[in-house]
Amino acid sequence: MIRETVALTRRELLRLARNPQAIATSLLLPILYLLLFGQAFNFGNLFDGNSAAFVPFVRGAPNYFSYFAAGMAGFVAVTATLFIGANVIFDRLFGVLKRISSTPASSTSIFGARLIAGCIQPIGLAFLVLGLAAALGHLGLSGLQVTATFGVVAAVQVVLAIVILSVMFASLFLAIGFSIEQPQTYFAVVNAINLPVLLTSAALYPWGILPAWFKGVASYNPITLAVEVIRLDLFSAAPQYYPYSAWVYLLGLLGWAVAMNLIAALLARRALGPRH
Amino acid sequence: MSTPNAGTGAIVADQLVKTFNGTVQAVRGVSFAVRPGEIYGFLGPNGAGKTTTVSMLTAGLEATSGNASVDGIDVRRDPSAVKRRIGIVFQESTADNDLTGRENLELAAALYGVGRSEARKRVDDLLERMQIGDAADRLTKTYSGGMRRRLELAGGIVHSPRVLFLDEPTLGLDPQGRAGFWKYVLELRHEHELTVFVTTHYLDEADGMCDRIAIIDHGRIVATGTPSELKDHLGGDIVTVRPTASSPNLAEILEQVPGVTSVGQQDGTFRLKCANGEALVPAVVAACVRAGVGLQGVSLKRPSLDEVFLEFTGREFREDEGPTATDRAVRVGQVRSAFGGRR
Repeated sequence: MIRETVALTRRELLRLARNPQAIATSLLLPILYLLLFGQAFNFGNLFDGNSAAFVPFVRGAPNYFSYFAAGMAGFVAVTATLFIGANVIFDRLFGVLKRISSTPASSTSIFGARLIAGCIQPIGLAFLVLGLAAALGHLGLSGLQVTATFGVVAAVQVVLAIVILSVMFASLFLAIGFSIEQPQTYFAVVNAINLPVLLTSAALYPWGILPAWFKGVASYNPITLAVEVIRLDLFSAAPQYYPYSAWVYLLGLLGWAVAMNLIAALLARRALGPRH
Repeated sequence: MSTPNAGTGAIVADQLVKTFNGTVQAVRGVSFAVRPGEIYGFLGPNGAGKTTTVSMLTAGLEATSGNASVDGIDVRRDPSAVKRRIGIVFQESTADNDLTGRENLELAAALYGVGRSEARKRVDDLLERMQIGDAADRLTKTYSGGMRRRLELAGGIVHSPRVLFLDEPTLGLDPQGRAGFWKYVLELRHEHELTVFVTTHYLDEADGMCDRIAIIDHGRIVATGTPSELKDHLGGDIVTVRPTASSPNLAEILEQVPGVTSVGQQDGTFRLKCANGEALVPAVVAACVRAGVGLQGVSLKRPSLDEVFLEFTGREFREDEGPTATDRAVRVGQVRSAFGGRR
């Protein structure tokens, strides 16, 4: 099973590497968000330059850009997984999936390889966003300020948050890809899911200005769970604004990921097994 | 037709039935046994159940009822073991366009569990043999139709299968490409004692390459035998008589012509079987003239699989019925174009 998984993962990565336009396009979105939206949308200015007064609204982050940058890491980890299911549909349309599923390779290998390869890009992008956001501060622009002592545990938690979030959404979109035959339908369904999930998260909105009902919804959103882990680890004042530790948020996120992964694996198995 | 016993052949189908959605009966109790090392042709019009049967034999489709075994393994009980023993060449191209020919074959080898060093050796050997060695490190999207077919064949045998399934393998190839493809198949069969199960639309291919043939129509096998046996079944030459107008007594008149062994009628055309068609034609024309029947034409055909097909199915071997392999190939082509030829 390992040989098959490695071979299929290699295939996915070769295809990704041979599509530089796709990589460039995926980089464009976070860079534009950081350079334009993040720079222009400075909520702190509403407080007559007293950014400290704004700190409770961004749950302990030193400014909105830092709060926003952590949210963007989660945001791109999701958007970069959007097309992973479309590749399944195209592979089915062009006969490649038929060829692969005619071999003894297990559905676990076929699904697992897509998941592994599909998560590499979003994870890379999420860390690129954090790095770029920090670098902007050294270029005279608003930048990500890490105010907490960032140790090994914090680093592990941030990595876990991004990895688990990517796995969860890659699983979701793979589940859709294995269940739908037409690319048009796939994109319609993905759009119908993607936007509401992003907009009901606390990735971009300052938490303090959200109505109570929205906070209730956003608290359970997997993107919120991931970005709250990042914010807890990056900002020293953050813990006083969060009711739980980063591990609890990670546990919640893991629950989402496991559930979604199980559903996707089941749907992949059904799609790749003998037809009835 | 007698029901074959499991274990008597490299491929055994025993009363295979496939019903889709509880109503559409694609295969209605198909039974046959393919001997080890044999090239077995499966012929039928579009929608006859050829690909459905292949899908059931290769563990890609679950049979509604009946049993099948390949290389002694029950397909239903152990589909993975069957998949390890077989190679498949599909009618459509299944190579990954974004990989090179070599990468496609290495991937196929890995998926069949061939070790890396062994795979490398086999892939190099196959690329040379299939005459795509020079293009081995080019992306397959740049390959010609013939090269793609040869790559598909290489992918089907890279793991040294015991049984090779070819589903319309030469569809869309020019005669030269078809001849080249079959040359490799025959070589491989000779060297590895491969059992080959082939569905094809090209009757000349089936006639020239297959040891035995089964003709399937409306989901049922209507004839099996060697190409010679099937042609002999026709009882000699076929003389086709087309009168200018319908003539109710013409069948009786033609039956009386000395040498005619049987008379069949379809769409106003009469098919006469006889031992010597050349000698019969003048007598048939004379009989029609005597009876005052005008003739549009009289033609003579030597026994061929086309005639065998017509005899057993009552239809010409056409590709204009049902959702066809060609339709599917065209659809794939349309999708490719719609997305700029890329995935």
